[in-house]
Amino acid sequence: MREVAIVGVGAHPTGCFLEKQLKELAYPAIRDALKDAGAAVKDIEVAYVGNSLGGLLNGQEGVRGQVVLQHAGISGIPIVNVENACASAATALRGAWLEVASGAVDVALAVGVEKMNVGDTARSIGALSAVSELDLAEMGMQFTTSYAIHPKINLKARMQEYGWTIADFAKPAVKNSFNGSLNPLAQHRRALTIEQVVQSRVVVDPLTLLMCSSISDGAAAAIVCSGAAAARFAQQPIWIASCVLRSGEYRLPDDERPDTATSTAAIAYEQAGIGPKDLDAVELHDAMAPAELMLYERLGLCGRGEGPKLIDDRITTLAGRQPVNPSGGLCARGHPVGATGLLQICELVWQMRGQAGPRQIEPLPKATMAQNQGGLLLGQDSAVYATTILKV
Amino acid sequence: VKLLNPANVRIATEPGQTPCLLGCRCRDCAAVIFPKMPICPRCRGDGMREIEIGRTGILYSHTIAWVAPKGFAVPFFQAFVELPEGPRVFSLVGAACPVGSGVLEDGMDMRLVIEPLADTAERRDTLTYKYVPASASRRSMS
Repeated sequence: MREVAIVGVGAHPTGCFLEKQLKELAYPAIRDALKDAGAAVKDIEVAYVGNSLGGLLNGQEGVRGQVVLQHAGISGIPIVNVENACASAATALRGAWLEVASGAVDVALAVGVEKMNVGDTARSIGALSAVSELDLAEMGMQFTTSYAIHPKINLKARMQEYGWTIADFAKPAVKNSFNGSLNPLAQHRRALTIEQVVQSRVVVDPLTLLMCSSISDGAAAAIVCSGAAAARFAQQPIWIASCVLRSGEYRLPDDERPDTATSTAAIAYEQAGIGPKDLDAVELHDAMAPAELMLYERLGLCGRGEGPKLIDDRITTLAGRQPVNPSGGLCARGHPVGATGLLQICELVWQMRGQAGPRQIEPLPKATMAQNQGGLLLGQDSAVYATTILKV
Repeated sequence: VKLLNPANVRIATEPGQTPCLLGCRCRDCAAVIFPKMPICPRCRGDGMREIEIGRTGILYSHTIAWVAPKGFAVPFFQAFVELPEGPRVFSLVGAACPVGSGVLEDGMDMRLVIEPLADTAERRDTLTYKYVPASASRRSMS
């Protein structure tokens, strides 16, 4: 496999853009990624476009990638549509990475775009539910429920097992809302207090509204290229040290294997030749804020049940030793599901280059991780896990 | 009135019968799963045989949801129930159990009922399995 570098990134702000179509959300992200790299449309040899809900919510059932890219002046080249739930964009990045790593092309584009706001929240929630296996969606399973009580994470049970409190659950939301308040691209830019998060209305017990990522529109893009081609572009290359994609495993109740977030991260660390201690920043999948506490231990950042301590000890805050979700994460920056994986990559690239403005991590991070996941299967696991490690 | 995923449940057709789930057991490693699959997820054997399961269970986890996709009335209970045969299944909770905190307790005995998916115009005509506390009254919703 060849070394692969990210040489250009761009993002559309996340938020509610009722008047915009998918292609209008994607265009600024693609344009800015090209501009960032100093690349032209003709440099792009292949493109992968991630999107999850554009069929059900926007009515564009097929060829979303071709539609979105033609609008941005990109056509004729191979375009691959990627639907992989909330990890669609990370999966698109893996496709672009693999094209370059394999030697098939020198320059590839990955795009993620999602438009979830359609003026009807119940419809948006219904579409999100359909990202789970139909048998579950038909019974009214929702992602909020899955985080609250599903055996794969069961946050409610952690309150018994670890002694975590509702205030502990609120800590990642508070930390990330502060980061989001410094991010001009973020959907929610109000720094929250523990009291505000705890006292917001209950969505699915024990999760409150301000612990949940919200319905969001947005887009992000990244241009990746071979080591040799990197010299053609304007930016300092950020290297993809590993780009790992796994699917959920069927888990019987007596399953003793590590959960799939853990095993995916383990492969990513091994391929990158680093360990959790070497990470200088992490963007992770806090679709529900308290999930961040579980992901700390699954990514090896702390031991069992120690998640809240990482925030109490200011290790994962912006000024800490290992800042987590400097962008604001899914809850503050926003979670336009098919764009999120690349929004994470954009943030890490900006941080590693020193372009993150008031939320810049100092000293500049040299090794970072993006962790993205999505979907839910009857086999009692999420459907998709993606973990990418970047190095300068 | 139709049955959601008819392959997943056996409804009572005669007096004295009780409804149950239809899962399958692996001939080779004895894993029991629900819903059915042709290949055993544990040993990958292809000798899966249908069995009746889930007439009763133990409440594994539960929550009250205050938001829902279209066609579900909030608030409503959502739960996982651990069956004596092995599987842990996602389930809604039957109407015999009023929605409120402190009503359900993890670890309590549950039994299976067949009921409309939700008491809403969209879902009233779709029947599915649900669980209720074993102690709940047997008055059936028709």
